[in-house]
Amino acid sequence: MFVQLQLLDRPETGIMIQAEQNTSKIVVIIPAYNESGDMAGVIRAVLSHGIFSVIVVDDGSTNQLAESLVRLPIFYIKHRVNLGQGAALQTGMAFARKMDADLAVTFDADGQHDASDLPALIAPILEQEADVVFGSRFLEKKVSRMSFGRKMVLQMARVVNFIFSGLLLSDAHNGLRAFNKRALEKIEITENRMAHASEILFQVKQHNLSFIEVPVHIQYTPYSHKKGQSGFDGLRVFIDIVLHKLFG
Amino acid sequence: MSGIKIILLTGIVFISLYFIIRLKKKLLDLLLLILMIALAAVFIIWPGITNALARELGVGRGADLVFYISILIFWFVVLKLYVRIRSLEQSFTDMIRQDAITKAENLSKDHSK
Repeated sequence: MFVQLQLLDRPETGIMIQAEQNTSKIVVIIPAYNESGDMAGVIRAVLSHGIFSVIVVDDGSTNQLAESLVRLPIFYIKHRVNLGQGAALQTGMAFARKMDADLAVTFDADGQHDASDLPALIAPILEQEADVVFGSRFLEKKVSRMSFGRKMVLQMARVVNFIFSGLLLSDAHNGLRAFNKRALEKIEITENRMAHASEILFQVKQHNLSFIEVPVHIQYTPYSHKKGQSGFDGLRVFIDIVLHKLFG
Repeated sequence: MSGIKIILLTGIVFISLYFIIRLKKKLLDLLLLILMIALAAVFIIWPGITNALARELGVGRGADLVFYISILIFWFVVLKLYVRIRSLEQSFTDMIRQDAITKAENLSKDHSK
């Protein structure tokens, strides 16, 4: 039996209290690593919908992340060491499976996603139109403050993903996604670092999962820029994808 | 016997001793290793053989032939190591994940009592 967890004042000793039964089976997984922005605000915005359980996967943060989340009604899971965003997402998904979740959303911790997009994101799953929903920043002209270089990198990533997976999405590396129960059971992320975004596509294809893209807002702030990836990271992701294809 | 020969031979003697101690239980690996060591010793003592072999294979000098083969072996080893690191990383990840989830679950159970 799972109960809602809440961080106590001393997170290092253990985590939670607040026995709130009937936890929602619609979960939002937020991977976090040394976040210094307003992560509590991000979580509150998600919780304000009143239909989501939040799973925070702390990927071995060495800062005061846990303290900043004290008293929020969330599931808090912490990796002992830093493994990478892909690994954190997979841990969140494994935990969601144990909770017998019906729907899981992945959501970035840095504040670039907008919690008000969540209802539209999960709608296709609730209406059984698709197994997987990908958020896309390019379906509508809602992108704010994106540099030309970043746009180019994302366009290249789209093509690379298409070559390797056969799926052409309008947005290649958007952290906002939703999975239904079937997808949650099938998808197993093994790429610990950033290549996981492409790996999810490969597995959607491999398991014949149906998918749909939904327009979402992306807010680029100086903080999310700092936490984001550069073109050079894009090259590393590309190498990871090639190695993933070669060695599984 | 020239200085370089003595240095190289001493090197392979030490490397082979190290491997023989470590590979006592793996007969096939050991046989392969002994073959390689014998070959290395032969090439060091009579370097002329590599020249003859190189000319057979269409390579100018014996040293070049050894160099080309070394590159092949090098890449093979790099790939083997890469595969090994990946599988190690996977087991490591599984352990950390299991540990993190179990901890969260146990705390959750404690509080539901």
